[in-house]
Amino acid sequence: MINSGNDIISLDAINITLAKRPQFYSKILTDAEVALYKKEGFAEMPFEHFVWLLWSIKESAFKFLQRNHPFLIFSPTKFVVKHLWMPLGFSETKFNKSQIEDTGFDDQMVLKGIITIESDVLFSRSLVYQELIVSVVNDQSNFKNTWWGIKLIDKPDPQTQSRVVRKFLVDKLQRLFHFDELRIAKSPHGYPLVLNRNKEVGISVSLSHHDHWVAYSFSTARYSFPNEQ
Amino acid sequence: MTRLEILEELKIVFAPYTPNKEMLHSINEHTDIIKDLKINSANLVDIIIDAENKYHIEIDNESAENMVNVGTCIDVISKKLESIK
Repeated sequence: MINSGNDIISLDAINITLAKRPQFYSKILTDAEVALYKKEGFAEMPFEHFVWLLWSIKESAFKFLQRNHPFLIFSPTKFVVKHLWMPLGFSETKFNKSQIEDTGFDDQMVLKGIITIESDVLFSRSLVYQELIVSVVNDQSNFKNTWWGIKLIDKPDPQTQSRVVRKFLVDKLQRLFHFDELRIAKSPHGYPLVLNRNKEVGISVSLSHHDHWVAYSFSTARYSFPNEQ
Repeated sequence: MTRLEILEELKIVFAPYTPNKEMLHSINEHTDIIKDLKINSANLVDIIIDAENKYHIEIDNESAENMVNVGTCIDVISKKLESIK
């Protein structure tokens, strides 16, 4: 089972003034990461978006690793974004839809990153819109078997976020795998488990939500599709 | 400051970030910030900054990573307050 980690940030819900203060961003970024921002290209992105972009990459990396290291502690400055590439012609556009789902990122204006956490090396893909940032992390540089979705929700309360993101994911998995009794449970350590008839199906998923946005990701890189019709 | 006094003040620190306002009244040292108070992880740094400003302390990243429940928050704040006496 290959892991996937994701995170979504609502840019309407962040405190812009605070994110620009060293007191705030020094708790997320290393000095080397602050220097990354000064590299050519990133000036097109507001610094506060850069701070939250790196947060989303680091949180995704944490969620990726947490499944195999349940007692791992999220310490943002220990998750180091070593490289981050912005695509040519990048600009933050409006999301302009209520949801999007895709496989891989070949069709997207995507930022590619490499993250190190002690001896682990992970890879990230991030989308930055005017309203939101979403990141997905795995341990391969190839994301062609990574499935992901982003959805706008009506109400930002935790119950709605949890209910809608689960249904969003379950609907996708049903369409792909044709399970008959699919549901999402939570492990004792807090990560989501995909169960069919109360048995784990061997797909590792990641869920996230922030404000009016929810997102999922999962990988089928090492999964065969026995039920696919 | 006693641990109980810090716990009472933490209710004010957490209040803007938790949708679970009812639970704030009954928090104890075992209350988990994310699982129980349903605070989004994206607000964890806000909470650390608010605590720094409230107590005029600096919470280094090593200490901040331990602040996962109310008890560990009190541990970190008490220790920092003690060190500036």
